[in-house]
Amino acid sequence: METEVTKKKSRRKTTFILLSCVISAFVIYYSVMSMKGPAQKLEEIKKEFETKTTDKSDINRRIIKDSAYLRLLKERAFLQSSIVLAETDSIYLIINLADSTANIGIFGVVVHKAKLSEFQISKILKMSNESAILSMLATPLTISHSFATIKKEPVIFQMAPKDTSEYKPDIMPDTTITEPVNYILETDKGVRIYVYQEENAKIDDRISQFKFDLNSRLNDTWSALKSVAAFKVPDYHPFIKIKLPRTDAKIIYRALPRSGQIAVFS
Amino acid sequence: MLWTNKLSEMEDEKIINEGTQPEIEKSTGGVYPENDRSIDMHDTTLWEKFRARKVLFGIARFLFISICTIVVVFSLILFILYGVPVLKEFAPKQTKEIADNKDLKKDQDYKKKIGLITKDIQRLSLKYNTYTPGQSYIVVNTTENRFYLYKNKQLIREGSCSTGSYKKLQTAGGKTWTFKTPRGKFTIENKRTHPAWHRPDWSFIEEGEPIPPKDSPLRWEARVLGDYAMDLGDSYMIHGTIYKRFLGMPVTHGCVRLNDEDLEFVFNTLNIGSKVYIF
Repeated sequence: METEVTKKKSRRKTTFILLSCVISAFVIYYSVMSMKGPAQKLEEIKKEFETKTTDKSDINRRIIKDSAYLRLLKERAFLQSSIVLAETDSIYLIINLADSTANIGIFGVVVHKAKLSEFQISKILKMSNESAILSMLATPLTISHSFATIKKEPVIFQMAPKDTSEYKPDIMPDTTITEPVNYILETDKGVRIYVYQEENAKIDDRISQFKFDLNSRLNDTWSALKSVAAFKVPDYHPFIKIKLPRTDAKIIYRALPRSGQIAVFS
Repeated sequence: MLWTNKLSEMEDEKIINEGTQPEIEKSTGGVYPENDRSIDMHDTTLWEKFRARKVLFGIARFLFISICTIVVVFSLILFILYGVPVLKEFAPKQTKEIADNKDLKKDQDYKKKIGLITKDIQRLSLKYNTYTPGQSYIVVNTTENRFYLYKNKQLIREGSCSTGSYKKLQTAGGKTWTFKTPRGKFTIENKRTHPAWHRPDWSFIEEGEPIPPKDSPLRWEARVLGDYAMDLGDSYMIHGTIYKRFLGMPVTHGCVRLNDEDLEFVFNTLNIGSKVYIF
């Protein structure tokens, strides 16, 4: 009886140790694979956007490390991107992290200016000395998907009345409803733009933002787990996270077309 | 410490009980002799105490293990959800260092390259600035229902307006209309004073009225568009309204409504060909 109990206990202990080892090993494996993501993404960007220069003189090698030169290259890339946008028949967004603004433009005319209260940028995008990153940002990013806490078009359905007796005149719309505004704009180049509303005083706003953020993290983790289970490095998405006043965030989201374009200056 | 003390206490009691209980059972076949009743009573209480403690200890151990498991699982989830994304940001290393070399700045090749890029930037800036019209134009924000009037690139007037309600009207036959203000760049195609409204089909359907023929005089309605109207094409207009209390709200069928004073000012400022930017 006693030996049976001891056996059971030791079996339980072994199972516990084994399980702990397996979980720890998986977490380590997952972390290592995930950490490989940014490097892989950088390689992909380099492969796609890096321009091969034949001039490998000493001066050229030194110039591409010069901060003033890189600053100018960045500015030129941003202007090139803005002009491309101005010539398109669409509403676009210009995010200028250098002066903390997000502007909506139509045919080169800035129609709305919003001030960013906070922003965070992925380390990859901060690599301003990487010519591949510069040339990637020299062309606008195109929105491929978006996830938001608000509707793109707040359509209200109404059935037509059969006759005049059924007709009810319009009632005044309730404009006091303030829904939380948080969204993610996923672009064709894999860059994600996270837009969060600045107002967080109300508990509802905080809960909504937490839920939204958690949901996006869960989705990312799920797809990363699937990749890792298939022994693949999970996709890494360079990001720009910005915080704006609620009204500005809403205006931008509603104004941008579903496949809208974005120019970024970091 | 407390746990260890309790454990050792319980171990002692276990040894006592293990030492005494089976012997009694062996000698009496499970029945206690009469004269040993007081000792037996004492032993039974101890045994019960021990059993009660054993159960308590079991519960405590179960709770402890459960809490530990929950904490560990929760920490792992937190690490995967929040820790790993942070770790990712530490991963890539800057492959090149940014330098601010003073000798380099004296180099002729360097100066030439910088000059070329600076010229490029100036050219591109000039080009970008030409996109903003020098003449008057109006900007309409459909989310906030506000308008901004510009002249010589300066804001000269702003105020409330009403834009599309986003109402989707559906007939029993399945025909639908969505009342939204189109977004983008438009041009003032025509300017009219004392405009009359030619009611489209949806206007009759919306009110449950029979639809008259296209050329019917029943379709014409005066004074509902205010004193002025500016056509933007596709039957969309900037006009006045009799529903002034709705200004600043999304209530229209797609047109932009202004109050009388703003409408007059806008009408006098914008010309045929002036640009209208709606977003």
